[in-house]
Amino acid sequence: MSALPLPDLAQCAAEPIRTPGAIQPHGRMTVLDAASGELLAYSANWGSEREVREALALLPADHARLAPGTGPAWIGSLPLAGRTHDATAHRQGDCVILEYEPGGPVATMHAPMYAVAHEVLPLLTQADSLTALCQAVAREMKRLTGYGRCLVYRFDADGHGEVLAERADPGYDSYAGHRFPASDVPAQARELYRVNHIRVIPDANYDPVPLVPAEGARSPAALDLSFASLRSVSPVHLEYMRNMGTPASMSVSIVSRGRLWGLISCHDHQPKSLTFQARVACEHLGRLLSLQVQALEDNTEVAQRLALHQRVLTLVALMAETDGTLQKLVSPALALHELTDATGAAVVLNDICWTIGKTPPPEQVRELAHWIVGRGEDLFCTDRLPEAWPGGEALLPHCAGVLAVSISQVHRHVVLWFRPELVQAIQWAGDPRKTLPSSGRIHPRHSFDGWQELVRGRSAPWLQAQQAAVSELRQALIALVLRRAEEMAGHAIELGRVNKELEAFSYTVSHDLRAPMRHIAGYVDLVLEDNADKLDERSHRYLQHVKDAASYAGQLVDALLDFSRMGRSGLKPGPVDAGALVEDLVEELKHGERGRLIEWEIRGPLPCLWADPLLLQVAVRNLLANAVKYTRGRDPARIVVAATATPLGPGLEITDNGVGFPMKYVGKLFGVFQRLHRAEDFDGTGIGLANVKRIVERHGGTVWARGEPERGATFGFVLPPAPSRPVESS
Amino acid sequence: MLKPILLVEDDPRDLELTLVALERSQLANEVIIVRDGEAALDYLQRNGEHTDRAEGNPAVVLLDLKLPKVNGLEVLQSVRATEGLRSIPVVMLTSSHEETDVLRSYQLGVNAYVVKPVEFKQFVEAIADLGIFWAVLNEPPPGSLKTTRRRHE
Repeated sequence: MSALPLPDLAQCAAEPIRTPGAIQPHGRMTVLDAASGELLAYSANWGSEREVREALALLPADHARLAPGTGPAWIGSLPLAGRTHDATAHRQGDCVILEYEPGGPVATMHAPMYAVAHEVLPLLTQADSLTALCQAVAREMKRLTGYGRCLVYRFDADGHGEVLAERADPGYDSYAGHRFPASDVPAQARELYRVNHIRVIPDANYDPVPLVPAEGARSPAALDLSFASLRSVSPVHLEYMRNMGTPASMSVSIVSRGRLWGLISCHDHQPKSLTFQARVACEHLGRLLSLQVQALEDNTEVAQRLALHQRVLTLVALMAETDGTLQKLVSPALALHELTDATGAAVVLNDICWTIGKTPPPEQVRELAHWIVGRGEDLFCTDRLPEAWPGGEALLPHCAGVLAVSISQVHRHVVLWFRPELVQAIQWAGDPRKTLPSSGRIHPRHSFDGWQELVRGRSAPWLQAQQAAVSELRQALIALVLRRAEEMAGHAIELGRVNKELEAFSYTVSHDLRAPMRHIAGYVDLVLEDNADKLDERSHRYLQHVKDAASYAGQLVDALLDFSRMGRSGLKPGPVDAGALVEDLVEELKHGERGRLIEWEIRGPLPCLWADPLLLQVAVRNLLANAVKYTRGRDPARIVVAATATPLGPGLEITDNGVGFPMKYVGKLFGVFQRLHRAEDFDGTGIGLANVKRIVERHGGTVWARGEPERGATFGFVLPPAPSRPVESS
Repeated sequence: MLKPILLVEDDPRDLELTLVALERSQLANEVIIVRDGEAALDYLQRNGEHTDRAEGNPAVVLLDLKLPKVNGLEVLQSVRATEGLRSIPVVMLTSSHEETDVLRSYQLGVNAYVVKPVEFKQFVEAIADLGIFWAVLNEPPPGSLKTTRRRHE
């Protein structure tokens, strides 16, 4: 978590830390050939090669038990230079490495391991948080080993160490909450910590003891001492320890899922060694901590994932209740941004951008979304947008972190979450900017005084669980979008089927219902004609009612059929001269209403309309016939036809001085089978105005009516003007 | 002699009304009645029970659209496809307002399409007009059948 430019550590990386060719002086080493058992080399601090061979004769290494790549195994103890020494052996390549270290009193041999198993383990399992766990480990480790200070720290993604727990005696500097830069533990050292889980340096002021070849044996210089506890460590590291004022140290690795997660690091102001048995206990404590860390991290992750999974499910359920368009994602009820602890979220569909919460301007969101689509990834995630995207700097401080999923790359559909800049004050354990001195040899930093760095351009990191949740959401949305598309296709098919059924229904109505009406009317006529003089007045009247009813039913069927046909047949629009149309219709109506006095007034010139000529004629005839019908009884009846226009286009208004209607019924006027008058007052099927409305609206026009009871009514409509290009008839 | 009128009608009530209408029109033509499309084709092609009928085509076929077995459109199609029958005037006489029926009938070469009016008075007028036009005014194609008026039930 640092923006610091780090010094070139190539020299550190090149240092032969695994093959130093020397050991620390507090023990002795012999190297045997694994196959023959022949002595190859020994450390220079033996009295003589004869002394080496005598020790080997006393305590031979059991080659068969030693598997390569594992740490030293205890093979016994023996007195050397007047002290009991623990002897351990491990296999390295085709060599067996024997190490002799001064041991503790026999009586306490099992105590450290016992303490770990009996006392520390319950404490670790009780710890319910990472901090509590690390604090318990720091405390127990210090108690177990007696070091002056024990730290537990974790490496972040960049390799910097962050101190999570500390236990220190008075007089020791506190590093609690501090960070150690990645350069303090270079990559190859971290790799060595990953495979060999413990390293003890009893005294940083030691002089390395070289390994010398046995008589007639090959040179041991390149011998890999990765797993040797006596391995001589890097002079840079020793200098670092001396700078820190801690000549004694122990490091125990915390490895989670095969990754070096952190270190338990112990220091002392005085030289301090650790017996083999104590070391084994410490290593086990490290393993226990590793397991617990992994379990805690797993639990946390699982809990987070579960909670987020629930939220995704809720979100998808809410989406499924809507029409499923992605725009619904940003409706406040869904609180999309809260899903990932973001401050804002956006949905981008090509060039449209909808947002919720705090987001950059839509323009920039769209630009960012298109850039993300260009990357071709399903999920994009950064907590440092200015480093990832050239336009990112401009979005600070409101947006520094972005999480995004592509719903469709073809259509550039992206859902994004935004987090603001989080300026972090990092407390370093000393200025981490090591510099290369002119001599060329790298030196560790000298100062461990607190040093604060401000980190900019970053947001809080996106959790794995949050990334998984948006991936899940993405899958669900894709499924939802696909399902909607399928549903739409299904609806279209269903609509086609319903239309076909409607056609069949209309056909039945037109044919099978008309026939019986016709028969009733016809036979009643025949009866009336044949028996005109035999029927009494009442029978005559009854039969007349039967005839009228059949006739009316027949008209109704015809009107219904006209209405349904209007919805189905295609428009064949063209220019229609409304003047000529109205003139013809007025002539027709005058012919049908002979004997009535109707004053027609046509306030010309009437416009030219763009319409299907036949349908327009039906509509205008209906309006004019209505005017004629509802002015019955007026003397004189007055009907005015006038041109009108709205922003939509030109049209006609027909005003009469007839019975009119109360405006509260205006909404019902254009409904199918809506009648506002008693049947005996005015005949008709009540479908005429519905037809007018349907015809006008099919042309994209609007229709209206105004009326006043007993004063008259005005009906009007306008149609859109002719399109600049000819439209295809459907 | 006048050529007969071939009336193809399955509905007994329509049949009766049509005959009354034809009677009132005072046409002298014989009216041959068949009750379905198959019988109509048998008559026209002199098959089945009509094998022995005299040669010659009717003055006009009044053809109902909805018929059992072979419907009116199929009869029309068959007539127009048959050498010797092709020139017979065919009037579709139907209850159907359906646009597709009208369209299809004209595509198949119908001479007229008449929707039976609901009102009996108008129905009589329509039938009379048809009869007078096709059976009297229309110049029949050569090779006409001259018969007296009779009924087939």
